[in-house]
Amino acid sequence: MNERTNTRGLKVTNLVNNFGPYLLAIVASFLASGIFIALMGFNVPKAYATILFTSFRTPNGFVQTLLKFVPLLLQALAFTIPLAAGKFNIGGEGQLIVGAIGATAVGILFSDLPLPLLLLLVLISGILFGCLWAAIPAWLLYQFNINEILTTVMMNFVSFSLIDYVATEIWRDPMAGHPTTIPIGTGGELPLIVSRPPLHSGIILVIAIAIAVYIYTNRTSAGYELVATGSNPRASQVYGINVRRMFLLSLILGGALAGLSGAIEVAGVQHRLIEGLQSNYLLLGIIIGLIAKGNNLTVPFVAFFIAVLEVGASALQRTMMIPGEMVFIVEALILLFVLLSDVVRRR
Amino acid sequence: MKGVKKSFGTVVALDDVNFELNSKEINGLLGGNGAGKTTLMNILYGLYKPDAGEIYLHGERVEIQSPKDAIKHRIGMVHQHFLQIESYTVTENIVLGTPLKNRPTLNLAEQEEKITDLSEKFGLAVNPRALIGELPIGIRQKVEILKAIYRGVKILILDEPTTNLTPQEVDFLFNSLRAMVEEGMSVVFITHKLREALSVCDRISVLRDGRYVFSIHRDEATEEALVRGMVGERLDIDKSLLFSKPESIREIEPTSVEFVEPVCKERVVLNVEGLHVRDEAGGIPIIRDCSFHVCEKEIFGIAGVAGNGQQELVESLIGIRPVAQGRVLINDTNVADVETRKLLEKGVTYIPEDRLNDGFLPTANVAQNLILGYHNQAPYSKRGFLDWKAIFRAAEKLIREYTIMTPSAQEVAANLSGGNIQRVMLARAFSRPSRLLIAHNPTRGLDIQSTDFVYTKLLERKDEGMAILLISEDLDELLRLCDRIATIYRGEIVGVLERSKFDRYEIGRMMSGVKTHERTN
Amino acid sequence: MGEFELQFVNFSSLVMLALVPYVLASQGTMLGGRTGLFNVAQEGIMLVGASLGFLGAYLYGNLVYGLLLATLVGALFGLALAYFTTSLKMNQFVIGLALFFFCLGLSTLAYKFVIGVTLQPPLIPTLPKVPILGLSQIPILGEILFNQNLIVYFAILLSIFLYYLLYKTSIGLELKAVGENPKAADSLGVNVSRMRYITAIVGGMLMGLAGAYLPMVYTGTFTEGMVQGRGWIAIALTFFGGWSPHLILLGSLFFAGIDVLALRAQVGGLGIPYQFLLTLPYLGTILVMIFASKWVRAPAFLGQNYDRERRTLT
Repeated sequence: MNERTNTRGLKVTNLVNNFGPYLLAIVASFLASGIFIALMGFNVPKAYATILFTSFRTPNGFVQTLLKFVPLLLQALAFTIPLAAGKFNIGGEGQLIVGAIGATAVGILFSDLPLPLLLLLVLISGILFGCLWAAIPAWLLYQFNINEILTTVMMNFVSFSLIDYVATEIWRDPMAGHPTTIPIGTGGELPLIVSRPPLHSGIILVIAIAIAVYIYTNRTSAGYELVATGSNPRASQVYGINVRRMFLLSLILGGALAGLSGAIEVAGVQHRLIEGLQSNYLLLGIIIGLIAKGNNLTVPFVAFFIAVLEVGASALQRTMMIPGEMVFIVEALILLFVLLSDVVRRR
Repeated sequence: MKGVKKSFGTVVALDDVNFELNSKEINGLLGGNGAGKTTLMNILYGLYKPDAGEIYLHGERVEIQSPKDAIKHRIGMVHQHFLQIESYTVTENIVLGTPLKNRPTLNLAEQEEKITDLSEKFGLAVNPRALIGELPIGIRQKVEILKAIYRGVKILILDEPTTNLTPQEVDFLFNSLRAMVEEGMSVVFITHKLREALSVCDRISVLRDGRYVFSIHRDEATEEALVRGMVGERLDIDKSLLFSKPESIREIEPTSVEFVEPVCKERVVLNVEGLHVRDEAGGIPIIRDCSFHVCEKEIFGIAGVAGNGQQELVESLIGIRPVAQGRVLINDTNVADVETRKLLEKGVTYIPEDRLNDGFLPTANVAQNLILGYHNQAPYSKRGFLDWKAIFRAAEKLIREYTIMTPSAQEVAANLSGGNIQRVMLARAFSRPSRLLIAHNPTRGLDIQSTDFVYTKLLERKDEGMAILLISEDLDELLRLCDRIATIYRGEIVGVLERSKFDRYEIGRMMSGVKTHERTN
Repeated sequence: MGEFELQFVNFSSLVMLALVPYVLASQGTMLGGRTGLFNVAQEGIMLVGASLGFLGAYLYGNLVYGLLLATLVGALFGLALAYFTTSLKMNQFVIGLALFFFCLGLSTLAYKFVIGVTLQPPLIPTLPKVPILGLSQIPILGEILFNQNLIVYFAILLSIFLYYLLYKTSIGLELKAVGENPKAADSLGVNVSRMRYITAIVGGMLMGLAGAYLPMVYTGTFTEGMVQGRGWIAIALTFFGGWSPHLILLGSLFFAGIDVLALRAQVGGLGIPYQFLLTLPYLGTILVMIFASKWVRAPAFLGQNYDRERRTLT
């Protein structure tokens, strides 16, 4: 019974076990949505080619993908860190917005400061504001045991009003038709690492963060406590882990990353606060986190893949007049099929 | 039942089992935990689908797909963990699922009357309007039996019905069972206790490791034969602690002194002084003025019917439930309301009763499970970083030592069988040096070998100088292992007996609240 | 009628109008939850209901078709939820979120595909008022309670019916038992799966209907995000309504009140920036949850799947 398994053999089967279901899920969801596309009367192969290859045809497409990748990765991590502790952070959107507001506020108020200093302040402010926004649901959970799913969602809606107020009342840019603030000081802008097409250095920061998160959750005692809490909070408590503190901490940490994603959008892409800058990053971030099954090693790869699909989606709309939401359905289907593959494996 | 087979995943629970129940008899289904007794009866009751096998009722083949079918064939089952809805009344629990006339008021007066009649007839007094959640375990069991009788069952299955009863209540239960058999019912009595099987059953069927061993009439049964049937050839019965007579474990020194608060000769490790604990809301007191101490080289037992505050007592001792009043001293330092983490660092080990809920990380791997609680101590953790190599080395050692059946230390723990999960929990508890062990029903749900193993370990650790607090609802276990036994009733320590004064019925009386000094003969 | 009375009647009728989506979505949530099945796709199902409800009404030129289509699609999503969780034993929250995403995409896709991008959004008529003969003549109350559209009546009757069902029938006794202790219910011959399927499907229908109601009463057309968190609020409402139909009805009244108030103040202008008034329903939700968290009890088995043969917890 007690066979010693050959470790290399184990690794190969692990690889097949881990990536096989993903490939199958992608193929299945493309097949399923192909029927949709065909029913709507579009050219299916051409649509797929657009979705999958737009990112890789031109430098611009690739840079667009990386620019999407940055907030998506952060949003996904903002979801998976609390998820490791068994908590659902559905408030990444609000945390992004409020982080962006914090970043913009500093960027405008201290617009005279020089480059590294103001940039640092902008990013830190974004992180802190994100923490703050997440801390409210986290504290409600800690103090009153109030379900975090609902409160984080509610905080999103509150943030919509907040950004509207900031962009139309406080620092309104009178020249813009859409609610927008005046730009932040140039010292707060993220330097470019490629100038044409422009790619800001946030990408390096984000990759470093993804590595740090992986080390934290998988290689430290503190990360162990997070994972143990998520697996069985009661047992974790019995064995000396302060689980309520873990809930609090994980949600605030998630808020920090989501807040940073807002700050990067301001410092790297928009250089000002624009209503709607959150795009649909939250939902995509959750999809990424769930497709990766909360595994922080897998998250960056899934995030990149989803960024590719998203860039494909806008091309789809531009060139073929297929509504971009089609891709959203593809993504939801991939998620469903990935989840289904677990069920199949269980039997 | 003929040729019944059932497996869960890769674990074979039943292999070609035959079972016969005659009418108007009490058939004792005897075997250790994990022998497949409950699984077999769950199949008869339609809760589990068998992989193979047939069921015959009065000579006719029947298909039982669900409990609904079982009820239709007039089979009833009382589960070890009662299947009751705490927010419903007794009556609502009993009538649930029976075809009621859908009257607009859900008026249950008629049903209440019927329940009262039945409960009088079989000596199972209950108040039909009481809320289930507020009733003590003994009464709730009566409700469980009434549920079956109300449906007019002819075959009643009882799964370990004596687990939470005092010896006196056990006798009452046996009387009720006799009354039922006289009314024409047949009873299957699942138990792992020889003594009970021999005292109430007409016939005894033995299962071992998912296999049918034999069936024997009570008059022909000897303890010797039954034990052999339960354990097979693998276990040396003479060396087994589980089947030894309590007296043979430690020689009892006769003492002539009466009712002296026992003093221990070694150093006191755990000293609890005037402990009070309240419920979650902080209102109702659950533990009241509890005082006792545990010494080095001692196993101190706490007996009592489940739900008399044992869980709360243990939780307050290990720091996950606030202490309302009083002191908990470990080596003369007050640790009341000290964080659990600190206690673990001080050398306290805890074996929770509900090991699946309170000690097990289902989605983590075996190695991760083995370090829970020690994950921030050397050698597993160095300056906040985990040393996976050391962890896996330690895990593999424990897996060998405790014969945990798993493909590797990286296996997801939920994939292990129940018995192996228990071994992971035990391996963890005994893996580290410690001074005080708090064990709550440590052998609940264990098979015979594992139970024996735990007993050996406990005595071994005791001899090494460990102080052991053993809270158990299994009186036989306490009588075998302990140096002193305290009894807890409604959150109060009713009395402490020394080994020389151990008396089953005396403790039984204390378990139902009769204080020692109140008993004036 | 004096000025104040007029104001009051006007305000109250609007509240009754705003009540419907909350009541329908929350009662749908409650039904599933009482059997232990926790749906978190309300927001999505309501969006699809709004989109397809609008399209159905627009394409067939009759509101009834829109309502029917939305109810049908809601039923399908309820069925999907039940299948994935009850039959395949997948995590209820994760499946709920996945369905939410799917609905989100589907609602906009369907609208864009059928209508395309237009300068002027196509409009459908709003639900007509159907005064109840005699009763609507009662001063003040008549106008508020008995001169409304049919869905308002339906929502209130539904709440009364559900109360009766849950507390006064043996079906209710069995239904609640499934959410409290499915194994106990199962061991007494109650069909746990069937109960969950039925409540999930009916719950989905109510959510779809709640969605379709929005374009038919408020905007006359479908816009992205038009549900505005009402689905999420419905979950909160169900929670602090203690999973009881009558308290949910009361709670809905509270939220409908806030809705109307925020809208009024926005138009009337109280000197407060309107953005802050818009946050009222969400802040109100959080506030009420703090108070309710002390006394409210959810079904014991909420959010967990039942597997008859499962022996270890996973």
